[in-house]
Amino acid sequence: MTEETEDQYRMELDRVPTGIAGLDTVLRGGLLKGGVYIVQGVPGAGKTILANQTCFNHVAAGGRAAYVTLLAESHTRMIQHLRPMAFFDESVIPERLYYVSAFKTLEDEGLKGLLDLLRREMRGHRAGLMVLDGLVAAEESAASDREFKKFVHEVQMHAALNGCTVLLLTSGGPGPVRAEHTMVDGLIELDDRVFEVRTERSLQVRKFRGSGSLRGRHPFRITTDGLVVYPRIEAVFATPSVPDAATADRIATGVDGLDALIGGGLIEATTSALVGPTGVGKTTFGLHFLAKSSAAEPGLLFGFYETPARLRLKAAQLGMDLEGLEKSGTLEILWQAQTENVLDELAHRMRDAVRRRGVRRLFVDGLGGFIESAVHPERMSRFFSVLSNEMRALGVTAIYTLETRDILGPTLQVPVNGVSSLVESMFVLRYVEVQARTRRLLSVAKIRDSGFDPALHEFEITDQGVRIVGPFAGYEGMLSGYARTPGAPVPPVPPGGGRARGDA
Amino acid sequence: MKTILLVEDEFGIAGVLTVLLEDEGYRVLSAANGRQALARLAEARPDLVVTDFMMPLLDGAALGEALRADPAFKDIPIIMMSAVPEDAIRARFAGYTAFLRKPFPIPAFFDLIARTLKG
Repeated sequence: MTEETEDQYRMELDRVPTGIAGLDTVLRGGLLKGGVYIVQGVPGAGKTILANQTCFNHVAAGGRAAYVTLLAESHTRMIQHLRPMAFFDESVIPERLYYVSAFKTLEDEGLKGLLDLLRREMRGHRAGLMVLDGLVAAEESAASDREFKKFVHEVQMHAALNGCTVLLLTSGGPGPVRAEHTMVDGLIELDDRVFEVRTERSLQVRKFRGSGSLRGRHPFRITTDGLVVYPRIEAVFATPSVPDAATADRIATGVDGLDALIGGGLIEATTSALVGPTGVGKTTFGLHFLAKSSAAEPGLLFGFYETPARLRLKAAQLGMDLEGLEKSGTLEILWQAQTENVLDELAHRMRDAVRRRGVRRLFVDGLGGFIESAVHPERMSRFFSVLSNEMRALGVTAIYTLETRDILGPTLQVPVNGVSSLVESMFVLRYVEVQARTRRLLSVAKIRDSGFDPALHEFEITDQGVRIVGPFAGYEGMLSGYARTPGAPVPPVPPGGGRARGDA
Repeated sequence: MKTILLVEDEFGIAGVLTVLLEDEGYRVLSAANGRQALARLAEARPDLVVTDFMMPLLDGAALGEALRADPAFKDIPIIMMSAVPEDAIRARFAGYTAFLRKPFPIPAFFDLIARTLKG
């Protein structure tokens, strides 16, 4: 998350930033000073870490905080658990961050005694932030709903009068609106859901009085840095972060012979899809594109499949010096293993890398890595659309690879619906069988706002990389995957439209 | 029988330490914060005060200062307990007799109590 994004949403209201990466973006600048917020979540969802991280960040920014628990969990144990976290700073305890238990006070003196304790701790420690961990215990000790609501109301009064922001932590998953939810200034709900065999944490700001917030669920991770929130791409970049400066200028593809087919190169700040089966040469096309990176046009390879070492070797064997470009700072390779990634985390990582170096040439290998990360695959079309818009606005010319299911055959099955409408240019790379030999074919399927050569071209991969050989001549039916001479009988289409991956 | 005033806001820790101390043959007076502790001093003069540092209403430092300022109690040894390092505690109040960093093994706790009571 960049500072600009955080700052973008800072408003005139007096804010108490959580200091948690991404969360202040969701909150459009942070909590409101003197506000009372419920942080609700299932056990293990991350409430205690969120609250402690906010306290330490508040103290690091010069404030003072008090952490009051109503739980049987010992502070000693809590502090032990926090110690490995990057935000933990023992030196601020107890002088500026103070931990106390109010469990016994609540047992002995009820809500009245607890309220008195909170009021005194708030003033005694001049706390700008207070956490009450275990609101459920207070609720259980209330003789009636009315008494509990009165307690929450009085906490609000003291918070407002003292300018102290209060977080009330309570357990529970998504459910019906409760009385205390209607009273407080905000409700942040943490969740930890299972998707088949994997889990993903997310949070939702269900209520935020006095300010807008980014609606919907936003994934987060708990790392040694504490919570890291990844605002959902479709929400945070619904409108691109900068105005789109459209241009008709061209940028070289770097592929020998290709620019001539498409009017002199790709149109700058557009998105292209490179569609084709495994092994056909998509990555090699991308390497050519990145080999043209320069100080004026920095490049980024955002990949999921081949490791940086293998990519460097592959490029070197084709006469391209990726390593040299990396050393000179004109190219960066960001590789992520295809493990259990978080879709929005990947998108933020890519965007941050683009912003950090002013990237102009982006090669994503490939879109399948994003798709594999999605726990909600139905998002992909909107996600890709918004991410592409943001890249365009940032002046990035992007090429995404998209792997088709079949090696050979008449159909092209891609894993994203409507991909053609989301990109300005689409190049289809295919294998074609010609007289019992497999050859490679390039068809330019689409170049928006530009003419292009519609002929089907053969290309080959030599020790210098991709070379456009020229138009296929003397054959037809090549897009079926099986070329034939004009007038020859049409061969039967294999079941399923072609050979499945791995059959070749 | 020696009497120990145990001042601890964390209910679970206070409960366990009370039982263990009683098993060892001590009489235990309990308080959940410094203010309660000062009130309990009116009931009986303890031989030792074992107190947490961070507590609501009146913390370990304020309790220690109150004890040292009162001629009737200024000589009572104090064991200060805290999850934070001793330097941070000493900066607020240095008048305790011994310091015990939480978490601690129970044998070390009993050993420190025995040594402190012996003077």
